[in-house]
Amino acid sequence: MRKQFVKIFSALLIIIPAFIYSCTPGSCFEETEAKVKASMYQSLSEKIVAPDSVSLFGLERDSAIYKKTSNVTSILFPLDPASGTCTFLIKINGVSDTVTFSYSSHVHFISKECGYTYYFSIEQPVTTNNIIDKIVLTKKTITTLNEENMRIYY
Amino acid sequence: MRRICAYIISVVLFSGYTPVHGQDTDAPQDSVTIPLKVSFGMDVSGPVIYFTNKNILNTEAYFLYDLDHKKALHASGGYSNYKYSQYNYSYRNKGIFFKAGVDFNILKPEISGGKYWGGVGLLYGLSRFTWQVDSFSHKNYWGKHIVSMPEQSDWGHYLEVSPGFRAELLKNLSIGWSISLRKLLFTSAPKDLKPAYIPGYGSTGNAISFGMNYFITFNFAFKKIRVGIKPETPPEPEEEGGSGMGTGIIRGIM
Repeated sequence: MRKQFVKIFSALLIIIPAFIYSCTPGSCFEETEAKVKASMYQSLSEKIVAPDSVSLFGLERDSAIYKKTSNVTSILFPLDPASGTCTFLIKINGVSDTVTFSYSSHVHFISKECGYTYYFSIEQPVTTNNIIDKIVLTKKTITTLNEENMRIYY
Repeated sequence: MRRICAYIISVVLFSGYTPVHGQDTDAPQDSVTIPLKVSFGMDVSGPVIYFTNKNILNTEAYFLYDLDHKKALHASGGYSNYKYSQYNYSYRNKGIFFKAGVDFNILKPEISGGKYWGGVGLLYGLSRFTWQVDSFSHKNYWGKHIVSMPEQSDWGHYLEVSPGFRAELLKNLSIGWSISLRKLLFTSAPKDLKPAYIPGYGSTGNAISFGMNYFITFNFAFKKIRVGIKPETPPEPEEEGGSGMGTGIIRGIM
């Protein structure tokens, strides 16, 4: 009985590390870019309502982040870590406005597999009011987590 | 290559194990002589892994002092030099670490006989290291941004539980292995810049860090003690008229 127990114990102590060591190196499954997450609110009802179409460009940039996209209830704004401000041109239902962010950035370690990214701390965004009524900042720290940072009322 | 070495050494250790029953006599014994030892060991898996992967160097040596046949004081230390790079960052880390605690032998004295150790170590670890990020690339809508982080010095404190096994190969020479489960308690690095690797601890990605070591140990006995052997309780006599199923289960356990 004792011999069997010791042999089983020894076998387990060999098998368990063999399993651990046989695991393949991990891959990165996490989000690696921190973006400002803005929910789209209709001013009249104060509820989340997707505009008929949304387009989003960085100022003086040719490529679009969103191009006449419909059914978008949450817009993601990427920030430039090499600068302290970012200005976007946003077109909601064909009407354009500009949104300017001022922020500070710091490096954040995600994991060995994913590496490093930038987190931001933003101030109250400045916007024109052609279709945007107001912007409410709900969380000023911008991370890779999927949580609302601001609300755009249009 | 590293995994092949791990499997080969495990098979050699396990196949060499034979239980010891004290003196070579058929008569039942009530005690066994156990030598208390001072042991000096060094990890051999670290240099072997470095031979196959020049990015990871781990060296560790340890000292054991038997308090009795069940417990031993454990002190160890080592040096680690770690490099890691992938498509978006390149990281370097080097430093020293120390661990202290107690090893507990769970083998009964008539089985261990002073030649075998099977048990668990409970240790507190302290690591002092420097790390730097040679380059870190961040690419998004606004373009590609490459920066580096200069060398920084930090501390790491952790707890380690390390079950393992040691067997005497020759007089005064033992070999053995242990697996390590480590929990990081504290690091002086900023919350956003937790080090990817801590010497003596390992990668910081998961809540618990796993490791495995193979040791070669030199033992010197400084004292011998007599340890009583607990007599086995005789099996209970079978109850007459009991069900056959119940009796079969008791026999299987005994």
